This record gives sequence, C-alpha cells and structure tokens, in this order.
Amino acid sequence: MMRPNLDSLVPAYVREFEPYIPSKPDPELMKLYGCTRLFRLNNNENPLGPPPAAQEVIRRFPPPQGAVYPSGDSYYLREAIGAVHGVDPDHILVGNGANEVITFVIKAFCERGDNIVTADKTFAVYEWVAVFSGIKARVIPLKDEGFDDAAMLAAVDGNTKILFVCNPNNPTGSYWSRERLTAFLDAVGGKRIVVLDEAYFEFVEKEDFPNGISLLSDYPNLVVFRTFSKMYGLAALRIGYLVGDPGVVDMIRRTCVVYSVNRIAQEAALAALGDDTGHIRRTRDLIRQSRAYLCEELLKKGLPVIAGEGNYLIVKLPISDTLAYRKLMREGIMIRPMTGFRYPNHIRITLAGQEAMEAFVVALTKILA
Amino acid sequence: MDEFGKSDLQLHLDAHTPFLPIVTRFVETTASLFDLGKGDALKLVLATEEIFLHLCSTVCPGGPLVVSCRDGLYYTRVVFHFSAPTLHLKGLNIASADEGGCDLEEMGLMIASRSVDELHLSVEMGNRVRLAVTKHKAYPKVSEEFPRPEAPQRTVSETADQEQVKRFSLMASLFCRQQDLPPFFDYPGRVADMVASGEYGCMIGLDQNRQIVGGVLFRQRSERIVQFFGPYVFHGGDIMATAEALLEDLLAKIARTKALGLLSLSGLPKALEHRFESLGSLSSRIGELPSVRKPFFFRHLHEDPGGEVWSTEALKAWLCAQYDRLVLAREIRTVRDMGERRSGASLFAAEISREKAEACLRPLLPGDDLAANVKAHVRYLSKDGLLTLLFEIDLGLPWHAELTEVLLAEGFQPKILLPFAGRSDLVIFQHHDATEP
Repeated sequence: MMRPNLDSLVPAYVREFEPYIPSKPDPELMKLYGCTRLFRLNNNENPLGPPPAAQEVIRRFPPPQGAVYPSGDSYYLREAIGAVHGVDPDHILVGNGANEVITFVIKAFCERGDNIVTADKTFAVYEWVAVFSGIKARVIPLKDEGFDDAAMLAAVDGNTKILFVCNPNNPTGSYWSRERLTAFLDAVGGKRIVVLDEAYFEFVEKEDFPNGISLLSDYPNLVVFRTFSKMYGLAALRIGYLVGDPGVVDMIRRTCVVYSVNRIAQEAALAALGDDTGHIRRTRDLIRQSRAYLCEELLKKGLPVIAGEGNYLIVKLPISDTLAYRKLMREGIMIRPMTGFRYPNHIRITLAGQEAMEAFVVALTKILA
Repeated sequence: MDEFGKSDLQLHLDAHTPFLPIVTRFVETTASLFDLGKGDALKLVLATEEIFLHLCSTVCPGGPLVVSCRDGLYYTRVVFHFSAPTLHLKGLNIASADEGGCDLEEMGLMIASRSVDELHLSVEMGNRVRLAVTKHKAYPKVSEEFPRPEAPQRTVSETADQEQVKRFSLMASLFCRQQDLPPFFDYPGRVADMVASGEYGCMIGLDQNRQIVGGVLFRQRSERIVQFFGPYVFHGGDIMATAEALLEDLLAKIARTKALGLLSLSGLPKALEHRFESLGSLSSRIGELPSVRKPFFFRHLHEDPGGEVWSTEALKAWLCAQYDRLVLAREIRTVRDMGERRSGASLFAAEISREKAEACLRPLLPGDDLAANVKAHVRYLSKDGLLTLLFEIDLGLPWHAELTEVLLAEGFQPKILLPFAGRSDLVIFQHHDATEP
C-alpha cells in the first residue's frame, strides 16, 4: 500500500516539533548505566509518597472495579476541592495531570495567529503545547531569576490570548508576592487570560505568597492550576485541576476530554485532600532540612546555587550539565540537566531524604574531582 | 520562493539521451538567473551533462526524472530525483566504472564531482534516489582594518542583521587566528548570504555601546546535530566572559529544538573546552600544506537515553573505550559473519568537498562486494587528489557494522564517535594514508 504523504498531511508546526522522549524505565536505566540503586532526584517527586489515606485507597482498590468507567468529570473530587477552597465545584475542571489542563486552556482560547506570553526559563509545557498547536510562544527572559512582569506586559499585543505565570517558578523557585501578582493582573486588565500555575503551592511557607484561588472573585480572567503530583505524591496517577470563573471554565470545559482521569486517581486525590495525619507538615519539614543541608554542601564547594521555594534547587556546575547527568547516573543518582530549561551547565535536584541528599553530595564530589 | 528568498525550479522528463540539450539549457538558464557566474555556471552544466548521460545509459534509462535547480543564495544546486531498480543503483558508486576496467576519464560521476564543489547522494524508501551537485558562488575577498574593541563592561548577545554579519566576518578575519577560522570568513558577502539563506545563524556579542565584541556562527549539520563556529572574541579583556555569554545564548536558542547535540569542528576558546566533551580529531591536508588536526568537541543538549549499538569484535574494544570515556550508556551488540548468503552490489554515497580536498563515504546499500567497493573508492578518490578520505558508519544499522573489518583491512582507522548523529551513533573512520605527505 502507498505510504501517506506526511509532508502534505501534517501541519508544518507539528512536523517541525521535536517530540519529547521520556527517560527509559528505571530498571532499563540501571542496566544501561550499571548502577545497583537509583535515587530519583529529577522529577520533583515527594520522597514521602502519597498521604497515608491516599495510600490506603490505592491499596484497597477492588480489582473488579477496573472494568467500570470512572466519573467522567471527577464529580466527588470536584465537590471536595470546592469545599477546601470555598468555590463552586462547577468552577473546577480536573485533568489527567496539569499537563492536560494546560492543553485544555490553550485549545479553548487560541487559534492560528494568536500568541501566548510566558518566561524563557520555566516549565516547558506551556511553550510546547502552544508551538505544536501552531500558536506562537513569546518567551520572556527571567529577571533576577524571576518572571519579569514589566517585560511580559510589554510583549503583549493584539494577538496575545494567555499569559502563563509559574508561581513559584520551576526551576528557580522565585515567586511573585500577592502585591506584585495583583499589580500584574490589574495591568493585564481582564482583556486576556492569565494562567497562574501553582503546582508547588503547598511547599511555600512565605507569608507574602499569594493564594491564586482567593483572587478569582476579583479577577475573572484568572485561571489557577494545581496538581496532586507534587505535595500529594500522586504523580504516577496523573491528576491535576484548574479553578476559574464559571464563564471561563465553561469555555474551557468544551475542550476537555471527559473520562480522562481514572478512578484510582480520583479516589486517591479525594483521600489526600482529607488526610489529617500531617503529611504537608512532614513534607515541608523534610524539604526545609534537605534544602539547608544541600545549600551548605554546595556552597562549600563554591558552586552557585539558586534555591527558592518548592522542593528543588538548581546549581551551576563547572562541566556540562548533560555530562554531569551521565556521570551521576553511573553513581545511581538521577538529576535533571537544565539545558532544556535554557539554563546550560545547571542541574536541578529534587530535595529529598537525607540518605539521598548525602548520596548525591558524595557522587557530585566524585564526578567533579 | 521560500521565506528566505531561495527558489527552486523543476524540470520533469524521462531519462532519454536526446533530452540532454533541454536539461543543460535549463541548468544554464536557471544558474544565470540565480546569479551564478558564467564560468561556474558552465561547470555546473558540465556536471549536469555527465550525470544525465550516466543516468540515461546506466542507472534509470528511460525512467521518469525530476531535475531541480535551487538558488541557495550562496550556491546553486542541481538535484536529480529518480527511482531505479536495486540492480542498477550500483552505477551510482562514484567508483563504479572500476568494474569494467574503465579509466578515470570515463567515470561520469567522478567527472561531475570535479567541476563542482559538492556532490551528495542519498537513497530513500523505495529506491528513491536524490543526487545533488552544488556550485558555490564566487565572492570578493575583503579585508578591512579596525581598531581592536576595548574590553566591554558587559556583553549582550543578539541575532545579527546583515550588516552586522558582514562586520562580524571582517572582524573575525582580522582578530582571530586563521587556523581557527573556516576559509569562508574571508568572504563577508558569502557569510551574509549563508545567514540570509536560513541555513546558518549568527549571534553577535555587543558591548554597552552596541559595538561588536564577538560572535558565533552556527548551522544545522544534520537533523540532530548543530555545528557552530566560534565563539570568536575580538577584545583583549575577559575573553571567557564574552565567550561564555555567547555560548549560553546559543544553547538557550537551540535548547528546545530538534537538535540533540552541539558540535564544534573549528576549535574552541581554551576557556570553554571544559564545557564540552572532546571526541578526538581528524587530520586534513590541502595541497602541499602540512596536515592540520581538526578537533571535534561535542555537547549533549538532553539526557542520554542510552541505547543499543551494533559492532563487530574488531571494533568492540575501541567502542567500549570511547563509551567509557564519554560516559555514554550503550549496550553493544555484536554482528558476526556466519556464512549466510549475501548478494547484490553495494552502494556508497561519496560526499566530495573540493574546497577541503575531502571525500566522505557513507554506505547506502549492502552487497557481497563490500571489500572490492571500498578498495575501488579509495583508489579512485586518492587518484583524484582527494587527500582526506573519511568513511562514516551508523551503529544503529547492523550491516554498517559489518563494514568495520573491511575498513580496517583497507587502512581506515576509527577516529571519532559522534553520538546521536545518525539512527544511532556514528563512527567516522579516516584513511590513514590519505593525509600523510
């Protein structure tokens, strides 16, 4: 049979997009790099795992229920999220991880010729989804490792539909205070959608850090993302959500894929929200100690560190970050090289338990010797 | 015409000898339209004539053929697209006439390659062949005197406009060692057209007064590899700071593209070498000049996902040493000749650069004549004055690996392991006699 002519069938913006190739599974990587253990310090996962109540839901999931479709719109979970934040469940959309809700929003608001505005050194998925959807991404350089509000506003034009702000920023950990965020929202003035990605919200302990959901009543053009992948340790189940003004959410709902969130994820997330065992406090304590330890060790080595909020920090190395990745893999440590985040020669390390942090420091010392 | 002002004109016809005047007139007219000088246009016509006759007589007689003429701004390229039965494809070996005992003068492709700057051959699915000959345009050699820029208080980099590209080129020729510069830097107009064509990019470093203090030129060498020239720094102050700023901005520019690796073949400022991995070096020689070593510096842009590569026992030790040194996770699988039947004639692409007196061979089709074909290519390319002979194999293809024993026996040595440059990693072999005076 004749092969399809992909040059004419596939839009140029898809053909020219480089597909993201995820890492191989851990056992394959361990075999390739010849290591007998692997500390995963690359994806900002919670080393404590999900809260105990969520773990119990996962453990007790009845296998026969695998045959039954989940709630198509995460009905009970939205009710619970609404109760936690004091918002109507209809103002909430749940997706298969925050990545899916990013796609929902871009699909809902953008068409060919439009653009989005975000930072150059931030979570890559806003830019990726825009580019492979044929939408221009205007990426604004960070200023002092943080989102540059003035430059972002200056980049807005008649075709700008969405501004993406990652707060706190991944990978720098910088954040906008409530005052700075509201000034930005005032300047945008409701003519465009502002997405506030709060994937690491629960890790931040600073008093001036804003809760985006509390601003929704004043700024109906604001859409807030949250995830269960980070603090709640449910990354394997892929579940995240957005909250917004009912009119805005109603538009986004039209681009949603219903039934994309599986039942275990919905039930585990529901249990995680209701957990009363101090999971968030324990995680914060661990991250605080880990950050202090690692900063001290890295500064002792004279390495420049960028450590803000969130369960990660980045450090500049005297060698290429991608070479450091390979050398550390041989030592059983997986970190994230930062060239793809436009921070060449930097690596991002997930803050984790003491054993992992000490193993990282030993390995780093060895590879830099 | 594309967004960079490059044009393509096409002629559709069958490979019949009587159509030769149509083809030559087409190429002559379009080359003139594309501003190729008269002498160069005639050389391109000569190459076209040789190829067309060769296709009509040997490779795809009577078959449909598309001849396209491309204005690449700094070159004119004639491309032949056609399909041919596997049996006839061996006629595309540049050394194919060797079988019949013909001498060099009777070899159409060899003659074609002599009158052009580049010859390139590739075979796609369904024996769809692309054969291209390229003639570079002539540009005036220009030099100008400038005072050396003062050390900047700070350097910002930006994409250069046409005038900045020309000035950057002039400054590079003036302030940098000739051995660190590709020859085209002597021709600022050519560099400007290379950038205008979209095939090259240029970023310049500017001081606080927006004076050029350095720059870097880059191009997509293959789908996965970006090659760069520089960074060149013109002031005498903190060279490292300017070079690093340019390099970081280049990395940021390509970090989210298709590229997997960044490659330098023209040397790096010493201060930046630790940011890269040394892949080794190739030696090259032009005319009677002494041979020079061309170092390869590489940098991955992403995590190494690891993978499988194919090798023979003969190459395994060298590969293991390279993978260990470069800390690349590879599972080496060994291919062995177990007496299975082999048939057909092999086909190698010969990419010839007259400017560099270099030929790079790439295997396109396997066959039962690999040793004889390698031998013939070495003999004829050497006889034709090509001093640097390279042979590239892709470790993602088992039959490529089978070539290693033939190559070693014919005097080739593995020199460079180029990660992710093909289906998997590439190994570049160099013929060891070719560069020795």
